[in-house]
Amino acid sequence: MANIKDTLLEPIVVNNPIALQILGICSALAVTSSMKVSFVMCLALTVVCAFSNFFVSLIRHHIPGSIRIIVQMIIIASLVIVVDQVLKAVAYDVSKQLSVFVGLIITNCIVMGRAEAFAMKNPPIPSFLDGIGNGLGYSVILMIVAFFRELFGAGTLWGVVVLPVETNGGWYVANGMMLMPPSAFVLIGLLIWGLRSWKKTQVEKADFKITKNSQPSEVI
Amino acid sequence: MASESVQKTLSVALVLCVVCAVVVSSAAVILRPTQEENKLLDLKTNILASAGLLRQDIDVETQFEQITSRIVDLETGRFTESIDIATFDQRKSSKDPATSTALSPANDPAKIKRRENYATVYIVSGDSGLEKIILPIKGYGLWSTLYGFLALEADLKTVAGIGFYEHAETPGLGGEIDNPKWKASWIGKQAYNEGEIAISVIKGKADLSRPEGAYQIDGLAGATLTTRGVHNLVQYWLGEEGFAPLIGYLKSGDA
Amino acid sequence: MLRKLFDKYEPHFHDGGKWDKFYALYEAVDTALFKPADTTKNSSHVRDSIDLKRVMITVWIATFPVIFFGMWNVGFQANTIMAEMGMVSQEGLRGMFIGLLAGYDAGSIWDNIIHGAAYFLPIYITTFVVGIFWEVLFASIRGHEVNEGAFVTTILFALCCPPDLPLWMVAFGISFGIVIGKEVFGGTGKNFLNPALTGRVFLYFAYPAYMSGDAVWTAVDGYTGATMLSVAATEGVVAMSQGATWLQSFFGTIQGSIGETSTLAILMGGALLLATKIASWRIITGVLVGSALLSSLFNTIDSTNPMFAMPFYWHWVIGGFAFGAIFMATDPVSAAMTNNGKFWYGILIGVMVILIRVVNPAFPEGMMLAILFANLFAPLIDHFVVNANIKRRLARGQ
Repeated sequence: MANIKDTLLEPIVVNNPIALQILGICSALAVTSSMKVSFVMCLALTVVCAFSNFFVSLIRHHIPGSIRIIVQMIIIASLVIVVDQVLKAVAYDVSKQLSVFVGLIITNCIVMGRAEAFAMKNPPIPSFLDGIGNGLGYSVILMIVAFFRELFGAGTLWGVVVLPVETNGGWYVANGMMLMPPSAFVLIGLLIWGLRSWKKTQVEKADFKITKNSQPSEVI
Repeated sequence: MASESVQKTLSVALVLCVVCAVVVSSAAVILRPTQEENKLLDLKTNILASAGLLRQDIDVETQFEQITSRIVDLETGRFTESIDIATFDQRKSSKDPATSTALSPANDPAKIKRRENYATVYIVSGDSGLEKIILPIKGYGLWSTLYGFLALEADLKTVAGIGFYEHAETPGLGGEIDNPKWKASWIGKQAYNEGEIAISVIKGKADLSRPEGAYQIDGLAGATLTTRGVHNLVQYWLGEEGFAPLIGYLKSGDA
Repeated sequence: MLRKLFDKYEPHFHDGGKWDKFYALYEAVDTALFKPADTTKNSSHVRDSIDLKRVMITVWIATFPVIFFGMWNVGFQANTIMAEMGMVSQEGLRGMFIGLLAGYDAGSIWDNIIHGAAYFLPIYITTFVVGIFWEVLFASIRGHEVNEGAFVTTILFALCCPPDLPLWMVAFGISFGIVIGKEVFGGTGKNFLNPALTGRVFLYFAYPAYMSGDAVWTAVDGYTGATMLSVAATEGVVAMSQGATWLQSFFGTIQGSIGETSTLAILMGGALLLATKIASWRIITGVLVGSALLSSLFNTIDSTNPMFAMPFYWHWVIGGFAFGAIFMATDPVSAAMTNNGKFWYGILIGVMVILIRVVNPAFPEGMMLAILFANLFAPLIDHFVVNANIKRRLARGQ
């Protein structure tokens, strides 16, 4: 059963879809200005990823190679539309803030990538778990980024005031940069930096090497 | 391989399409009523919030019972019954040439390009008749059109509240139009002076010790253009092209 | 004596020595005091007999006119306005400092400089300490030398702050500039953005109310005064030129960030940089040409936007234009490397700055954004220039 655990947990740290494979960045930038919204987005993506993997894997022996990408797309797109409709019905507020980004899960590379790379070759249950695992890997990064962006950008966490902001009578000067999508780039970059300092195996091979304490005379 | 034959390919595609179509359309149909309800509830929450009436402890629907929606003909400035309130969509009608009027740039300080011919206003009534009136307002800020509501007290000149429910201004600068402290600074300001529109959003701080202070709202620091946009759109919608005729008729009691 | 001491301890700092982590610090102190034994002997990216350290120190000296004029102007603006508002003295530590050394007479050069120093020095010291801290930290971990790029980065960053900026923001800004703008890419020489500008832009987007708007430009509490550019953008060029004449703007007795107001002082520093060939005349010419062409083109368009009517000679003397063109755009690391490329790089900056100032409604000032934008394009420009050269030579060979 160690295999199942690996399928589920590996994408969180060891093979993270955002931090290592650099996939799904678009939505990670767009929706992470508040934790609540990011959470719903993560939930939506995890559900779509898990079920699309499951269904693709279920019919994988019947999918003709010539139209397999289209078949995967149809399954993913249908799931995304269903999720979008459900969100509009049960969490209207959040779905309004997510706007097009739920719909854009269709084009999220993580979902497509897992369906093609894993679900086409594995049985339904491991595929389902792989989808959940990758969804979790995506979620972990998103929630960390959202945590910092919401805390420093608006002084709140999950909508609850933690640092009372100056413009509203508090003392904390809100960092407007954090509310803009580019800040997520910087945060994701720092996260990757941190992760790779911890897990050295993820570091890409350097193009060249600087010798330690080298004097120019030694180099030449 | 059997799954590579043309026949198989076609049948897989067909079956998959039918299944997916059924799933998607049934989800849409089943969830439609709840979605419509949510949309309406959202609108009502926005209306209440901008009028400063929204309370957390009571259900929005119950709170909304004291409010009646009426449609105003902006050409004549009177209420009209010729349009069905249940199906009227003000946002859509402002884009339709049949139900809106094009504005020339000189006549369009709020930069809305077309003004709808009919608008929905919301009247809060209590024991003594009209208590508050909530007017829809919109106009261009720096980056985006701001959509919101402005509420007036029963004297039809004191501001009871303002709120924008849709905009895309810069967070931290123009986005501060959502700041509760700033919105609170509108409450109690006088919109009209002797029947003339007098309210204005100024650059910097309003001097409350001077008589003009009652008509002035502090501009937002570092957001000159959003502030000017708000000023223009409030002036426009409270002016002759907007709701001023209606307010006049309401005062004389023959709206 | 001291030399011997340094030599004696040097082995301890080399790899495997007991203090090898502190090699960077040792090297910095050593070479700051003595001419290094190993100055560049053959081609490195500075093709000269002087090393990077001397280049950076020259830039640092070149900023002196700007520093002193900036301090004087901050003091002058503050003292003038305090006299108008009837205020007698500044409060707190700054007030004590000023009271100890000088008075509040706007007519006295000494009083103005001391008053300005009370604002500039805390900003500069904060920038310097924080900037050098990051530089030493990264140098120690990575095992390379402390780079004097940080000296220049810190002084340039401090000079483009508004005088009233809170010090913790200063520290935050320079940290972002040095760490994200430079160190993550591998330190001086590998950064493709100008670190001082990266830090400033970060502050500009993070705390716009403190970096723009009208309450920050004068070192007096409660006084609001707009910069020339924001007056021009909202009320038009005529209103702007009533506020200050062209000559006043040229000499720099106007409101603005500490180091950016005086075109004259900047030109004095610029002359030194040009004479020592540290700053590229091609870049500066490019900026001037690009901005003059586009703003003249805009002048011919009749528009309700008052910025369209601003002539190029006004653009040159207000806002951060001169400071950016002389000190920021010419940063050898982030600018284009090829000679033709430098010219096009300059033109790109000139065109972008006018475009942002005139057309974009949200940003009255566009210099820093224009330079960062051009920084991103510098490698591409170089690529095209090099390829064009290769093609031309191939054609010649056939």
